Amino acid sequence: MNSTIIQFTQVTKQYDNDPPVLNDVSFKIERGKFYTLLGPSGCGKTTILRLIAGFTEASKGEVLFNGKKINHVPANKRQVNTVFQDYALFPHLNVYENVAFGLRIKKMKNAEVDRKVKEALSFVNLKGYETREIREMSGGQRQRVAIARAIVNEPEVILLDEPLSALDLKLRTEMQYELRELQRRLGITFIFVTHDQEEALAMSDEIFVINKGKIQQSGTPIDIYDEPINRFVADFIGESNIVTGRMIEDYKVEFVGKEFECVDQGLNPNEPVDIVIRPEDLEITALERGKLQVRVDSQLFRGVHYEICGYDKDGNEWLVHSTKKATVGDEIGLYFDSEAIHVMRHGETEEEFDRRLEAYSDVDTNGK
Amino acid sequence: MDKKMTPLSKLFLLVIFFILYAPIFFLVIFSFNSGETMYDFKGFSLEWYRELFQDTRLLIIVLNTVVVALLSALISTIIGVLGALAIHQAKKRQTKNTLLSLNNILIVSPDVIIGASFLILFTMAGIKLGFYSVLLSHIAFSIPIVVLMVLPKLMEMSPTLIDAARDLGASRWNVLTKVIIPFIIPGIFAGFFMALTYSFDDFAVTFFVTGNGFSTLSVEIYSLARRGISLNINALSALLFLFTMLLVVIYYFITQRNKVNGMGVRKH
Repeated sequence: MNSTIIQFTQVTKQYDNDPPVLNDVSFKIERGKFYTLLGPSGCGKTTILRLIAGFTEASKGEVLFNGKKINHVPANKRQVNTVFQDYALFPHLNVYENVAFGLRIKKMKNAEVDRKVKEALSFVNLKGYETREIREMSGGQRQRVAIARAIVNEPEVILLDEPLSALDLKLRTEMQYELRELQRRLGITFIFVTHDQEEALAMSDEIFVINKGKIQQSGTPIDIYDEPINRFVADFIGESNIVTGRMIEDYKVEFVGKEFECVDQGLNPNEPVDIVIRPEDLEITALERGKLQVRVDSQLFRGVHYEICGYDKDGNEWLVHSTKKATVGDEIGLYFDSEAIHVMRHGETEEEFDRRLEAYSDVDTNGK
Repeated sequence: MDKKMTPLSKLFLLVIFFILYAPIFFLVIFSFNSGETMYDFKGFSLEWYRELFQDTRLLIIVLNTVVVALLSALISTIIGVLGALAIHQAKKRQTKNTLLSLNNILIVSPDVIIGASFLILFTMAGIKLGFYSVLLSHIAFSIPIVVLMVLPKLMEMSPTLIDAARDLGASRWNVLTKVIIPFIIPGIFAGFFMALTYSFDDFAVTFFVTGNGFSTLSVEIYSLARRGISLNINALSALLFLFTMLLVVIYYFITQRNKVNGMGVRKH
């Protein structure tokens, strides 16, 4: 069976003569997975969602659903349902009628409607709230009603447009678990839009990182966190230390005026590169044992760890996450493994990047 | 009000309201006069009311007025709602503002000018002056009012509501009947009642466009008053006043319900 459910081929969306909101975007979405479109506001992620839902049409390119072109299919004829950022619940209808809305449109029999609505409401833990008015519900409850209203139609894909952004932190974390759990139980495709990288990492099977109308990188949360393709992704996903460097030869890289061993190969000799080291990969040690020497500038207690900010003698900023405490003003050494160094080529496309990564694993398996 | 009113401001308010309402009450009180003049109250009687209800000509005029008011309010509400929907859906900001300005000009322009221009239009178009000319002109000047009452409700509605309804499979007709209309219904009612009162007490426009054999209350009272004061005008005015009060009360209850419904519609 073909597992692809939605496919974009070279889709561009442009309003009048403004720069395109989406620029030549292609991707595939597989059945039954949890996808996240992640990016800063105005990057085009919501536009992708609106194209799938049918609220807007592509200027160029094809949108395929189950292998059929749906560019001109109106929103009410599509097998997808959306959970909106502001929930968009109908204020003149109570909880029950809100959930039943889609079924009533389909002219389903009352008994059937009743069974499905009750089932959907119990799915989102809102049993017994049927006769409540929307204005009597809290933010989190409205959220659940919106989800119930989407799932009751048994769509193949559910689109979620930043549905958690209006909730407070505790409720948001709770809903992250619930949404993930819900997706597993339903076994349908979720496409989730967010600008919150933690949310994306915690919930997704697959993440698309989007910036300026282009997909920067796609992959599992671990891939994207560990192997960011460029400066933007590295910076947007988690905290990171990014410095410029030079690839001397395979397994040897130079930055901050020193040479280091690394695990990357296959680049041109002396190619200029960007180096990423995650703050949690940096370890505080004695000055002379450290690969880097920095002066501690500030320190914040973050609960799980200390966030220490220091500068080396060239003025590069280094962020360290450590459970050990440092003293502001002290010089400390920073140690890291060679695997912690992540090398990013300038202007590398996703295909080139993937090929390079694959080449590594080939070498690894052949070498052993 | 946060601050308590001082006795002086209470007194001021009382005086102002007295000045505003005194002529009306004066009129109403003398409608119960058994005498025939407005300056000499001889005793209580319902004579003028009896006379009023025996005057079939006047009763027909009352009926005319009510029919014109109801019909014009109904038709202008339908057209006005459609107009408000069209203005709301205009994509370009400029088109929207132009349409809205054209609408507002009709509200602020003097009745005399509207009446005169309708008179010219009807005579040029060869429409006989009478019931239909009055009805048409009343519909015309009520539409902008309805638009103005409905449009804020439409603006208040979050556009995602429409997206959500489409998303759930609703056709354009379904969206209109199941989402938009229920949402703006308080505005529609308010518009209807405003149109009703405007039509009911319009004098200037009706005066221009009415013809032989057809008259509305305001025009009739005007001509009666010119002929000489008879106290059955007072009786009629008293009844009119009562009716208007009733409309205000109904309008009040509609806006009250509106407030309750409006809560929690949108998160700010």
